[in-house]
Amino acid sequence: MRFRLDPQTKKQWRRFRSIRRGYWSLLIILALLLASVFAELLVNNRALVVHYQGDYYFPTYGAYLPGTTFGLDYQYETNYRELASVLAEKRASSSASAADRGNWVVLPLVPYSAYETDFKPEAFPPYPPNFSAKHYLGTDVTGRDILARLVYGFRLAMAFAVILLFCNYVIGIALGCTMGFWGGAFDLLFQRLIEIWSNVPFLYVIMIIASVIVPNFWTLVIAMVIFGWMNMTWYMRTSTYKEKAREYVSAARALGATNTRIVFVHILPNTISIIVTFIPFSIASGVTALTALDYLGFGLPPPTPSWGELLSQGTANLRAPWIVSSVVAAMSLVLLMVAYIGEAIREAFDPKQFTFYE
Amino acid sequence: MRNHFLLLPALLAFAACSSDAPPPAAGAADEATPPEDVVVASDTHFVADLPTYPSVPLPDGLQWITNEDDPVFAAPDAKPGGTYRTYITGFPLTLRLHGPDAASGSYVAPKRSMYMSLVDIHPNTLKFIPALATHWAFGADGKTVYYKLDPRARWSDGEPVTADDYVFSREMRLSDFIVDPFGKNYFTDQIVGVVKHDDHTISVVGSSPKPPDEMLYEYGLSPEPRHFHKLDGDWVKNYDWRLEPTTGAYHTARVEKGRFIELERTANWWAKDLKYYQHRFNVDKIRVEVIRDDDVALQYFLRGELDAYSLATPARWYEKAVGEPFDKGYIHKIQFYNDVPREARGMWLNMDVPLLNDKNIRLGIAYAMNWDAVLRTVMRGDYPRLRMHFEGYYWGYSNPTIQPRGFDLAKADQYFTTAGFTQRGPDGIRTKGGQRLAVNVSYASPDLSSQLVLLREEAKKAGLELNLNLLDPSTWGTQVGEKKHEIVMLTFGTGLTPTFWQHYHSVNAHKPQTNNITNMDDKDLDKLIDEFESGTNLETRLRLSHQIQQIIHDAADYIPSYKIPYVREAYWRWVKLPEGYGTRTSTEMTDPFSLGLLWIDPDTAKETLEARDAGRAFDPVTIVDEKWRVN
Repeated sequence: MRFRLDPQTKKQWRRFRSIRRGYWSLLIILALLLASVFAELLVNNRALVVHYQGDYYFPTYGAYLPGTTFGLDYQYETNYRELASVLAEKRASSSASAADRGNWVVLPLVPYSAYETDFKPEAFPPYPPNFSAKHYLGTDVTGRDILARLVYGFRLAMAFAVILLFCNYVIGIALGCTMGFWGGAFDLLFQRLIEIWSNVPFLYVIMIIASVIVPNFWTLVIAMVIFGWMNMTWYMRTSTYKEKAREYVSAARALGATNTRIVFVHILPNTISIIVTFIPFSIASGVTALTALDYLGFGLPPPTPSWGELLSQGTANLRAPWIVSSVVAAMSLVLLMVAYIGEAIREAFDPKQFTFYE
Repeated sequence: MRNHFLLLPALLAFAACSSDAPPPAAGAADEATPPEDVVVASDTHFVADLPTYPSVPLPDGLQWITNEDDPVFAAPDAKPGGTYRTYITGFPLTLRLHGPDAASGSYVAPKRSMYMSLVDIHPNTLKFIPALATHWAFGADGKTVYYKLDPRARWSDGEPVTADDYVFSREMRLSDFIVDPFGKNYFTDQIVGVVKHDDHTISVVGSSPKPPDEMLYEYGLSPEPRHFHKLDGDWVKNYDWRLEPTTGAYHTARVEKGRFIELERTANWWAKDLKYYQHRFNVDKIRVEVIRDDDVALQYFLRGELDAYSLATPARWYEKAVGEPFDKGYIHKIQFYNDVPREARGMWLNMDVPLLNDKNIRLGIAYAMNWDAVLRTVMRGDYPRLRMHFEGYYWGYSNPTIQPRGFDLAKADQYFTTAGFTQRGPDGIRTKGGQRLAVNVSYASPDLSSQLVLLREEAKKAGLELNLNLLDPSTWGTQVGEKKHEIVMLTFGTGLTPTFWQHYHSVNAHKPQTNNITNMDDKDLDKLIDEFESGTNLETRLRLSHQIQQIIHDAADYIPSYKIPYVREAYWRWVKLPEGYGTRTSTEMTDPFSLGLLWIDPDTAKETLEARDAGRAFDPVTIVDEKWRVN
């Protein structure tokens, strides 16, 4: 791989690692992302493993298993928490057969999904955090586990931010590069177009869209991309302009390199520091944008787990402080870590450390 | 008699032309003056040459009916005086009673309550009692009601209320100047004539024969002040903020746009000594403040700047109405059971959607909705399940045997299987040749989400997927209006008798902007409804009503959710209610407008505020009154 072998990149990586809080933040965020990709194994109402009548079942990723699979009297999806207690009871009873004794269930760490409502007979939700019921952060006003909703909400928000970032950057970089590289009338035209487009009040447009259609994940991504790609074009245009005037570009051109080759092989790699520096901040803004929209009620429809929806529930129910504190803490931590990473990257790519003043 | 009505529009047209010259009184609020933010009561005479109408002789043999024998329901010891402070969440777009924007917003009810009708319904006995009319009689044709107007009746500006004001009222509602197509329809299709017999006798003619009680209820039209309304092309604009004289106890005295509206008790209100109107509408002034957020209003209330606060939702009753003012007895809480026709709250299935056109699917969905779980948990067990559309109607109109369908997976399974949804996909949702058993549920209030997420999880057990579509209220309204919904969460209000025709007759199916939102289209049902609509014999109508309700229930196009069998409110202890707190039909305990039974005790107010400043406590009070509890 070209980038990894590049001594410059190696230096930057070393510099990045030396900034401890950014480095650790990156590790933690990556770990969280990885964990959230496999959230079904950690936070789920489906069991990890069921050993029943000598057979092993792994319900997590497969099709649903009706209750009858495990000798329960219903056709719908097994309630594995219930199953665990039923099997435990049978094991403990004196009349248990050998097969009964061998039955067991392994539940995930948090045995709740983000959607199911859990009601207790003696009280009404929201329930405060309760370790014995495994509601580690309590429940929201409809009895859904807050930790489960936080985890799945995080995954969704991150996926949203990453996809958004990818789309915005592809458009922004492509257009910015072209503008900088070609210059002239093309550049002038698009500058004006972007200036006009930037002045469309994007939040209002999203609100209008949300009031006409029920937004889903992809319509929100598309809407945000339509109004979010402009930023990157300015930076890419400037740096392409700058790089284009450098001697190595002239040299490449003199050697007969095509425009495509010059852009992709010579100019783009030299603007990578700008792109990389912006990534963490774009992620942060993607997450906050989705949260803000959900908070205002213009985001993803219920019952999608989302931080914004939790936040609005929390502020409306300050008597249940665990709702608002969970989501505010989670949000602050993630944004703080992203900011640390951003800071460390900026530092690592800062050319100043190689500058010597005489 | 009909020929006379044809003459009337021509007469009115003439009258309208003759009043073209600017009346001398109109100068005060001329169209040319820019609208100001403050409106105060001023001259209300805008029409110089009042339209008058010809009299038609009364038929012979009318049996005049009145009712002075029912018990009074107001408290004889009520103290007059004081100011009552309440709030609305949005400022009205207009003060007009008719025309664009006149029927929307939270100020509509107070606005309308300032006007009396011809007769009233006694809130406990449900019998008709005199109001603007002292006597009434029914014509031999079965569709005419005659009224003797109370000659003492006066508009709040002192002008007498006469038969001409009633004839004018219908003419006005038919006028294109007021831009009110719905009203115009009603006065074309339902009320086909208003006739003056002498200055204080009128008759109202309906389009088809109806039972007498229903005619009295439905034809109880309000007069319009002839001297106030100059009907022309600018009426809608000109009358947005003009303060109309009223016939009820209050009139609007001062308006600051966007901030508040103040109503004042009319000095020497003409009805103040009438049997059923004594000791009512006791406060001198009602200040309706605009507070745009209910939670903010709660803070005002807790500080004592509002007199009462509705505790309609369980969350408010249990969680928001707690704390010192309640514990120390400064604020009282009341839960008052009433006996009124129940609003039809719940899920309406659009039968024009191919999936929902299958009755088995509709039945399966009904059995897959776990409303009992929702009521037990999300609604805290506070509300009973609603049985059906048109529940709790008086005089036995409601079919007593219909029971709502409960959560029953075996039955849901049976119906879905019959409909061909036999397979289940990997997520447990049923499929039929690749089609998923999924329906969209549209709703506009975010509060419903907590109910729907539970229904959704429970429905999964039956292999049914509910996709929740929380829409912006206007989008939701458009969707239902155009009948583009699949299932919609919506609450229909009530009337005195069931309104089958607008909800279930096939004339109203498959076309936009009607109340038949399930697109019920059943020719046999149509026949019964037509028979019901034209029936005048109560027994026949009750039988038909039960029969129709059974057919509707069997069609399973509506899944009832719950009813609220009581009123819950909180009020400062200086607000006094009569013995028994309210009436059988009370839908609000602390309401200064429509029944106006409350009064404000200045001594208690002083005592309470002093106690609060000193930190002294009274006994906490939570009243639960079950006198009128029906279920």
